[in-house]
Amino acid sequence: MKKFLIFLSVLFLTTNVNAETLRILAEAGDEATLTAAAAQFEEANPGVTVEASYLGWDDFMATIKLKLADSNPPDLAHGNQGFTVDGTLIQNDLIIPLDKYADQYGWKNLFADGSLAEFSWSEDGSSWGSGTLYGISPVAEDVIVYYNKEKLSSLGLSVPTNFSEFESALATANSAGELPIILGGADGWPIIHVWGLIEGAFVDPGQTRSWIFDAKGNDYATSSRIQAAEKLEEIAKAGYFGSDSLGIGYDDANAMFIDGDGLFNLTGTWMTAQLNEGMGDNVGAFAMPRSTSGVAGGGSFALPWHISSKSSNPDLAAKFLAHLMSNDFVDDLMQVGRVPAQSPTIDPTSNLQAEVISASNALVGSNAKTFYTDWATPGMYDTVTQELQRLLGGAASAKDFIDAMAAESMN
Amino acid sequence: MINHRPFKKIDYSNYLYLLPAFLFYSLFVLYPLSDTIFTSFTEWSGIGEKKWVGLENYKKNLADKKITSSIKHSFILIIFYSFFPIVIGLGIAGIMVRVKIKGMAMYRAILFLPQILSMIVVGIAWRWIYAPKGPLNSGLDFFGLEDISRAWLGSFDYALPFVGLIGTWVMFGFTMILFIAGVQKIPSELYDAAKVDGAGAFAEFFNVTLPGLKGEIIVALVFTVTLALRNFDLIYITTGGGPGTSTMIPSMFIYKKAFQMNQVGSASSLGVMLTLLIFTLISLIIVTLREKK
Repeated sequence: MKKFLIFLSVLFLTTNVNAETLRILAEAGDEATLTAAAAQFEEANPGVTVEASYLGWDDFMATIKLKLADSNPPDLAHGNQGFTVDGTLIQNDLIIPLDKYADQYGWKNLFADGSLAEFSWSEDGSSWGSGTLYGISPVAEDVIVYYNKEKLSSLGLSVPTNFSEFESALATANSAGELPIILGGADGWPIIHVWGLIEGAFVDPGQTRSWIFDAKGNDYATSSRIQAAEKLEEIAKAGYFGSDSLGIGYDDANAMFIDGDGLFNLTGTWMTAQLNEGMGDNVGAFAMPRSTSGVAGGGSFALPWHISSKSSNPDLAAKFLAHLMSNDFVDDLMQVGRVPAQSPTIDPTSNLQAEVISASNALVGSNAKTFYTDWATPGMYDTVTQELQRLLGGAASAKDFIDAMAAESMN
Repeated sequence: MINHRPFKKIDYSNYLYLLPAFLFYSLFVLYPLSDTIFTSFTEWSGIGEKKWVGLENYKKNLADKKITSSIKHSFILIIFYSFFPIVIGLGIAGIMVRVKIKGMAMYRAILFLPQILSMIVVGIAWRWIYAPKGPLNSGLDFFGLEDISRAWLGSFDYALPFVGLIGTWVMFGFTMILFIAGVQKIPSELYDAAKVDGAGAFAEFFNVTLPGLKGEIIVALVFTVTLALRNFDLIYITTGGGPGTSTMIPSMFIYKKAFQMNQVGSASSLGVMLTLLIFTLISLIIVTLREKK
């Protein structure tokens, strides 16, 4: 009996202390970032415990809505831009507006006007791209071109400054027997990033963003987009992705690139740390140059942070977000290999990080981030991955691709 | 004489013994099943209110060409998951009857091994075997067959049959064990009689072994056809339904609709349709093949 009473009192005391526990559910890519942030936050706020748990991408995306709909959800959690996750969370009142905290902590002043559109929604969650702020992230993710420096110089090439130079680099590599672009097309989604770069080279970035925010209300089959689709078809037909790209997974493609396969690797800045570790000074990066002038490419903030509407202490959650968003934390982000959305505060930790940050700045500077095609509708991820595989595999034409995409835009 | 049937009181307390199992069955099978059927008539994002839409989901599924073609893929997979393993299993059982192989127990165990491996493990292993620079292509290249080697799972023509072959590899151990066990219960007098009548290996197989294994063949068909139709993990791991939609099967759509597209109602209706399809096919198999009394 005595033991039982002690047990009860211990239980009571622990729950008491746990009143200041901040529960976080994050996608696994943020583990290093959060581990650093949690330690600093606990030290700066005695009595507060940060309890973070992580799920890999597929599991996270399959369960996040249910986790936040639970009666005891995490205080702070990642979502995902678009109607499938964020839209559904807002429509069901599962997350709270952050405008109050954004004003309190000055988040809106950190970025150019309109930069936070991807986190902004109407309050009923039915329209996207402006309105109330529901999420925030300290990290930028951009789709850029990584290249093998040795190969580029041994082919007698330099970093392309416009899209036709990029094309002729592909042709030069191909005729020299080098694989021009390594692509893990078996997974489907990596081709979305390739498409984003080609689309960006031809289509006005503002137009692509408008289409993503409102796919029904914006014409998809514009002449410049048809031109981009035809260009992708042409590149695929010329064999610039190799003959096996649809049989290679994303992780394998990156491993092959590190091992010296492929001149270019068209992927996102989240790969920076891994590529740098594998290739050191032999890997460089640049933003894709457009056909006319400037640069463009897929990209956005990283996954948004949301505060649960059932959180018992939303102010504490916001305070943690403020720590992530603070200028002090920028160097920590850089140390774990991420690209901060704010200007860097320390020197880049590697040659590659320096080039990635300058590519990222170029994209921000020309307001040329075009997000990701699959954000547009809940069914778009499936449509775009399947149709891009068909286009690359020669099972569909550029026109088939545009038609299928235009049809999905209406859903 | 009047047949006095003594009035027998049924002891309802006996049913209490069934109660625990029934509770579990209701909780984990009957409840989810009825909930899925109900959800299939609604539009539901997975959270929030369900909106009644009647047969709308079913109509849309039937009109969706991607879904109907995925059902075609499932029927092609039946050849690989069901027909091939049964033929191979019968072949091995037939040989076993004639030839005594030393260490057969060991071979049996090895051939059965794929059956006990998790499908995830099987899928990852075969993805590696079929990879552009994997063992299959290296082997082909070694014999000078570079023209044939390719990214098998990335090919619009070959991905489906090559995923199917993995199913054959997984399932034939099961049919083999089933048939070997079945052969042992066929009375040896029948084989002796066949020998006396001068039957050769083939005549013996078709007149004695095959009819004697009818029950086992039905079991094998029911099991393998069900797996071919409801299979999910193997496709999910190896191709994800791609390239394009060339290996897409209904269960992949159920997953995508429920977890990627916020269409839980539509996913449920597809689940119900798949269940009905499996139920119908299995009933057909049993009704056509079972012993006539």
